[in-house]
Amino acid sequence: MKPGNARRAALAVLFCLSLASVIPAAAQDLPAAPPAPPLDLTAEDTPNDRGHAIALSWVLSPDDDGSGRVTGYSVWRAVYRPGVAPADLDWTRVGSHSAGYLGDERLTHSDVSDDIVNNLPYLYRVEADGPGGASAVLLPASIMARAQWFNRARWNMLLAVLVLSAGIMYWIQKAQTSDIYLRPVAGLKAFDEAIGRATEMGNPVLFVPGIMDMDQIETLAGVSILGYVGKMTARYETPLEVPVSRSLVMAHAREVVKESYLQAGRPDLYNDDMIHYLTDDQFGYAAAVDGIMLRQKPAACFYQGKFYAESLILAETGNSIGAIQIAGTASPAQLPFFITACDYTLIGEEFFAASAYLSQEKRAIGSIRGQDVGKLIFMVALILGVFLVSLEAVGVRLPGWLDITALFDVSSGG
Amino acid sequence: MSEEKRDHSQARTILATDCGSTTTKAILIQLIDGEYRQTHRGEAPTTVEAPFEDVTRGVLNAVREVEELADRQILDEDQIIRPAAGDKGVDIYISTSSAGGGLQMMVAGVVKSMTGESAERAALGAGAIVMDVLASNDGRLPHEKISRIRQLRPDMILLSGGIDGGTISHVVELAEILHAANPRPRLGLGYQLPVIYAGNRDARQTIWETLSNTTDLTVVDNIRPVLERENLTPSRDKIHDLFMEHVMAQAPGYKKLMSWTDAPIMPTPGAVGAIIQTVASHYGITVVGVDIGGATTDIFSVFEDTFNRTVSANLGMSYSVCNVLAEATLPNVLRWVPLAMDEAELMNRIGNKMIRPTTIPQALEELQIEQAIAREALRLSFIQHKQFAVGLKGVQKERTISDAFDQSASGATLVDMMALDLLVGSGGVLSHAPRRHQAARMLIDAFLPEGITRLAVDSIFMMPQLGVLSMVNEKAATEVFEKDCLIHLGTCIAPVGPAKKGRKVLDAKLILPDGTVVERELTQGEMFLVPATYEQPVKAVLKPAKGLDLGGGKGHEIETELYGGVVGLIFDGRGRQPFVLPEEPAERVAKLRAWSEATEEYVASPQPAAS
Repeated sequence: MKPGNARRAALAVLFCLSLASVIPAAAQDLPAAPPAPPLDLTAEDTPNDRGHAIALSWVLSPDDDGSGRVTGYSVWRAVYRPGVAPADLDWTRVGSHSAGYLGDERLTHSDVSDDIVNNLPYLYRVEADGPGGASAVLLPASIMARAQWFNRARWNMLLAVLVLSAGIMYWIQKAQTSDIYLRPVAGLKAFDEAIGRATEMGNPVLFVPGIMDMDQIETLAGVSILGYVGKMTARYETPLEVPVSRSLVMAHAREVVKESYLQAGRPDLYNDDMIHYLTDDQFGYAAAVDGIMLRQKPAACFYQGKFYAESLILAETGNSIGAIQIAGTASPAQLPFFITACDYTLIGEEFFAASAYLSQEKRAIGSIRGQDVGKLIFMVALILGVFLVSLEAVGVRLPGWLDITALFDVSSGG
Repeated sequence: MSEEKRDHSQARTILATDCGSTTTKAILIQLIDGEYRQTHRGEAPTTVEAPFEDVTRGVLNAVREVEELADRQILDEDQIIRPAAGDKGVDIYISTSSAGGGLQMMVAGVVKSMTGESAERAALGAGAIVMDVLASNDGRLPHEKISRIRQLRPDMILLSGGIDGGTISHVVELAEILHAANPRPRLGLGYQLPVIYAGNRDARQTIWETLSNTTDLTVVDNIRPVLERENLTPSRDKIHDLFMEHVMAQAPGYKKLMSWTDAPIMPTPGAVGAIIQTVASHYGITVVGVDIGGATTDIFSVFEDTFNRTVSANLGMSYSVCNVLAEATLPNVLRWVPLAMDEAELMNRIGNKMIRPTTIPQALEELQIEQAIAREALRLSFIQHKQFAVGLKGVQKERTISDAFDQSASGATLVDMMALDLLVGSGGVLSHAPRRHQAARMLIDAFLPEGITRLAVDSIFMMPQLGVLSMVNEKAATEVFEKDCLIHLGTCIAPVGPAKKGRKVLDAKLILPDGTVVERELTQGEMFLVPATYEQPVKAVLKPAKGLDLGGGKGHEIETELYGGVVGLIFDGRGRQPFVLPEEPAERVAKLRAWSEATEEYVASPQPAAS
């Protein structure tokens, strides 16, 4: 074939191809019918909630078959007014869904909004949207959102809370009439010893309540322990030094220590400068406390609160000056540093139990025992649950009353 | 004290006396065939009180008895002949004294559990009775402390507090309290009260200015120069010196007695402590010694080369018997009585003893009750001792990450029953028990020795004299202690750990001196006795059951030599940690009787009664 002829043949093929693509497009431009509406729209109040939520579900439009006639669904809500035609209601679009392509499967939608007023009837309309327009299905009857008192999917939690509370109440009562054994914690018993050492050496006691603010539970626990230390330093007539890194902690600690000195009968020994602010900056604070240690050589250092990377810097400096050091924190990352550099370390629970332990107050001790018993029950339940689930996993058929999944409604997050 | 200095290590004849509150005891020690032996003893009433008011009269009477028994002239009229010349006189004369109530002290320290405790240890170790411990943190107000000092009127006060370079204000405050109290000594009203200052050296000047006008102040080295170390010797030595100079010098006749002796007169408990320490260091062993008296019980121990002494002031067998009952409680006393007896009857019998404290049991039942009380008195005293014999507090610890869940506290007791080698008992109820087996059982039941422990009793309570002798001639003191002072009862073998009733706890293979091999099995709740002598030890292979420990570790076999004695080898399978007696009365009585029978506690025997 000659080159001129070949070019002509190629152009002819291209023309034919372009013509073929134009013809259907021209056909689509014709006006199309709206898709068939969704079917069987139902609504119910979302169970076990505080209200303000309606759960909807509907069957996909028969045209929702992937052909493109249904592009999505719109959910509309209106306050129901008896005697008013649905079309005249004030509809608000409250949600949308993409097309389903799932045949006769149902779609669900949760309408959760504080705009939904509890106990007020609402009507819902779901529209199937498509290139040919929209067709809607109307909820046959109005629906109201209601608040429930109990989340029945979480009855097990209620039971656990009741059991734990009853246990704590029981042990608090029991503590009033009988002695309750508390496991000896060397670190707590060493508080007096550390303050005694400072007294004999004629050096001050240093107390660091962590570097975080009063919104941290560990800081609260630390300041509570400071109360006890303050009482002891008042009784031993030993200077107390409390550098803090947060202004709120300073204000709170001052009140606590002042009260302790008052209780010990030595308000004359208290002055506000014992508890003083350094800086909010983490390492600025660490450097300043190190400086205090090296200058004043405290004989006892207490680190009780929330700590981060400064923990080892403080504890190592304290160790180098020969102080007895007692740390207490629930930060797992800092525990290894404290354990190796300090004389005693209160770990997690011990730290939180410290104030009850030190004060030997009967109600606080009873509460600790109650909580411990609760934890023991949970631990046993956990081990038992893991065991039963494992049995099920390997195909052992358990009797119905031992069906752990149903019992605790695992699927619903209970 | 004699001014003439002689070489006491070459002494051949030694005379020692102990002037007690009621009796003065004298013993004669002689070098026989190259070894020192106690050969004769004599005693006479103490003559401190009117009409004699001269302690030397009683001493001379006791020595005269020794003289007659030994057929050796020791006295030349009212003088002890020294040095010995031929068969006359003695080379050394020494004495101890507890007459007049012994040495009563108050101690003071800044922190009660630190320098306060160190001061108490120094005073008790020197043989004193510590009447009270004053401390800055004892919770008493200054006027209460002042009133207490005035009320107690001690013989001496030991003031300590602060490490060297440590607190000054606290210790000066204590001195000011002493100054304000202006205490008067119990004896010798014309004298100032001896006060020893053994605290922070930086405070010496201020202490001197505060106390030197109102007291007889002596300054010695700090008892706790650093918190990590105790330095008790200077204080103890000074207590001894002041005891001689002030307390003894005020007692009738003591000046003359002091001029006779070759070594300072020591308080009796201090001398007992000295011999216990000497024996522990000489043989490299751990020792617990107990002296149970009518009003008090003293316990001495040497663990980890540390000597400790405690006085349980209200635990004794006669004047304090009701206090034992109050502290131990009736059920605890009753649990040792191998008779079906109700609590009311037991209380009445103990009440009778309280009314007539010096009576001794005439019937077996009375003896059994008395020994039940003794067990509880000893047990309670030992608990107090364990609480006092502790490591130093306030000491910095070194940790590793392995300590995360095992952070041991400081101030743990030094008393380790598994490590205990020798348990020595003395005092009437132990030394004068009708059968030595009873003394052994009382010691075992009260102290609950663990593993392998030798038991002994002091035959005639000559430990005080040997204690002061150990200061001038250690060889003589240790030889006599081993051969004549101690009556070796035997060895207690007790596996430690929980075991079920009737389960095997120990396999014992014993190779007796004549070559006979005895294999025995000890079961839980069982006791048995194997006769053996002290002179010919028994080779033994002992294998505790799984989970039980005899000193070599749980379930580990031990090959050792067991020393017997007048009782023998006592295998005790009743359990340690826990040791539990049956709760049900009939079962308990049956068990007690079975154990008594197994250990020959109350059976009739040709063995002569103890002297």
